[in-house]
Amino acid sequence: MFKPPGFLWLLRHELKVLWRGSILVRTHRYVLVPASIVILMFQAFGVLVGHLIMRHPVAPEIMLLALNINLAFLFVLMFSRAMMACIDVLYARGDADFLLASPIAPNRVLAVRMLGVALSILAPWLLLAGMLANGLIIFGQLWALAVYPMLLAEALVVAALAFALVVVLVGRIGPMAARRAGHSLALFTGVGIFILGQTPHFVPHAALAGFWSGLLPGPGGGGLAYLFARGVLGQPGPLLAALALAALVFCLVWVFLAGPFARGAISAASYRPAGREGAQQARFRHSAFSSLMAKDRRLLARFPGLVSQIAYRSLTLIPVVAILLGKVVIGLAVTVPLLVFLAGQLGLFFISVLAQMNDMPALIASAPVAARAPRRAAYLVCAQTALAIIGLPVVAVLVKGPALAPVMLLGVAGALASNLWLGRRLPIPLSRAAFGKTQVGTLLGLVLGVSISAGWALAAWLVVTFV
Amino acid sequence: METAWALNAQGLSKSFGRKVVEGLTLTIRPGEFYALLGANGAGKTTTLRMIAGLTPPDAGRIEVFGRDVVKDPLGAKAIMAWLPDEPLLYDKLSPLEYLEFIAGLWQVPPELARRRADELLELLGLWPHRAERCEGFSRGMKQKTVLAGALIHDPKFLLLDEPFTGLDAGSARLVKNLLTRHVENGAAIILTTHILEVAERLASRIGILAGGTLVAEGGLEALRGHAGFESGTLEDVFLQLTAG
Repeated sequence: MFKPPGFLWLLRHELKVLWRGSILVRTHRYVLVPASIVILMFQAFGVLVGHLIMRHPVAPEIMLLALNINLAFLFVLMFSRAMMACIDVLYARGDADFLLASPIAPNRVLAVRMLGVALSILAPWLLLAGMLANGLIIFGQLWALAVYPMLLAEALVVAALAFALVVVLVGRIGPMAARRAGHSLALFTGVGIFILGQTPHFVPHAALAGFWSGLLPGPGGGGLAYLFARGVLGQPGPLLAALALAALVFCLVWVFLAGPFARGAISAASYRPAGREGAQQARFRHSAFSSLMAKDRRLLARFPGLVSQIAYRSLTLIPVVAILLGKVVIGLAVTVPLLVFLAGQLGLFFISVLAQMNDMPALIASAPVAARAPRRAAYLVCAQTALAIIGLPVVAVLVKGPALAPVMLLGVAGALASNLWLGRRLPIPLSRAAFGKTQVGTLLGLVLGVSISAGWALAAWLVVTFV
Repeated sequence: METAWALNAQGLSKSFGRKVVEGLTLTIRPGEFYALLGANGAGKTTTLRMIAGLTPPDAGRIEVFGRDVVKDPLGAKAIMAWLPDEPLLYDKLSPLEYLEFIAGLWQVPPELARRRADELLELLGLWPHRAERCEGFSRGMKQKTVLAGALIHDPKFLLLDEPFTGLDAGSARLVKNLLTRHVENGAAIILTTHILEVAERLASRIGILAGGTLVAEGGLEALRGHAGFESGTLEDVFLQLTAG
């Protein structure tokens, strides 16, 4: 007699699909070697930090506050990632309807998806925080083992809340806008962390100290707001309570969504995308090259998350602007490596977007255009867009320090050209590939691209500093 | 210079580890509608890709209206349009923007391109959706958009790989009429299809591929002769010729 597959079988399948779509697997196989080296370096760093914590013990209330802030940031970063993952597994991956049409109970499918998302957002943080925990465990601090279940508890809460929010958001604004909301959340968190790190530069010390001391937990341990932080410190009561709370939130959301999921109300088929408008009037062109450029500009402009991705990379401009405005008293020469680095990063990002959106070379290959024309058009569009972003600060720096011009221009051109060349061959992974399609981006491209930008920036810094 | 052949392909061979096409010779006259039939994996798509200049043949020569596809690829591509079995569309572009792009690639004069784009969008029922991005389109609407793209530069030679996939009956009729009119104006078409009724009704000549070689060619009567049948449908003939 036919017996529907069990929960664990389905979870194994879900994790296999998630693992094969993960950045490490979908990327170049040789990246595993540098990735392993990076993990070992992080572990060594974790041991060092563990040693420092042992040598310089921190007051318990400060430890609790630091943990709580980290857990809060972790929550938002996980949440942003979870939103994207939820949209993928519910609306984009394309196998939800397929599984719903099978004899597996729909609530089981939903539970597995929620658990899969929780585990997938947990994995990278578990790796990072786990290294620090291991660093403490080595020195006999066994309470640090609590990091592992507590991060799982946080991931369960995050995944459940993200599922609930995504279902509501998609119902109201559609998956694209919901995805943008997730990107924006990550962006604001990134900017928030950056600004928080800069507060000692622009907030008086006394005011800052007052602010932090106001946040310190009281003698009672801070109540429910500090439950998770106390759980991380290995206190048995809070640890168990946090785990129970996480399981409760997870189950509540699961029960709440199970009905609509079973009715097919939460699936790609239930959502009809509003016909997003393109140009109302066409502008037919004489030249094939300008047509290629117009198409590339449109594809670039319509990449989901373009603004947040550019904003992420352009955080480098904040110190540049601060230096130009005289808010930070460091030599003008420091702006050169920053702008060179940004040029490389923007070039790598733009060419990767086009590499991923231009996934039909056969169409252009069937047209009477030279084989190099599409490549050149893409390079030109990406370079123009990158220069449009960094152009003003570059000019401002050169007006203030004309002597920096040769290094600046050579560095920007070099970083841009190198990463355009690299990104076309090894684009960075930007978005999950459609179900059944192969991911174009590679982690190796990301590692090499950042290294190249950093290499050009370092060279520019050495020249402006010593030559 | 007027040439006798719209397509003159001689001794085409291609292998990807195993032989996919072997010693294939195909000739099509201007104004002729040719249907290339074959079972899955018979080599139809590879043949079309070689003619379109996308896959270089291991051996053989291909001329389209006298232009050598290997030696003068741009010249040959300028008068051809290739429609693959999966619609090649940019999801983030609208049909109008897609046609603008295709017209630019084939360097159709802007005024002519605008007029043809409007005509094709109207004719294929895409006019109300001309400014919507293709990402929300059904398979049939995507297919009609790429068909409009294939026709906007008024190609003299059309290569169509399963062009009727996803089209409803009304749209399929519309496309058939459009293609027939194109052929009547002197163009040549080669199409692959698994819908034998389409081949029987549209094509003046039918070629049947099996194992990468042309096992029979001609009108329905000639194919019956090849199969040793006195009567019978194209389906009977096809199954007989491709059996074993």
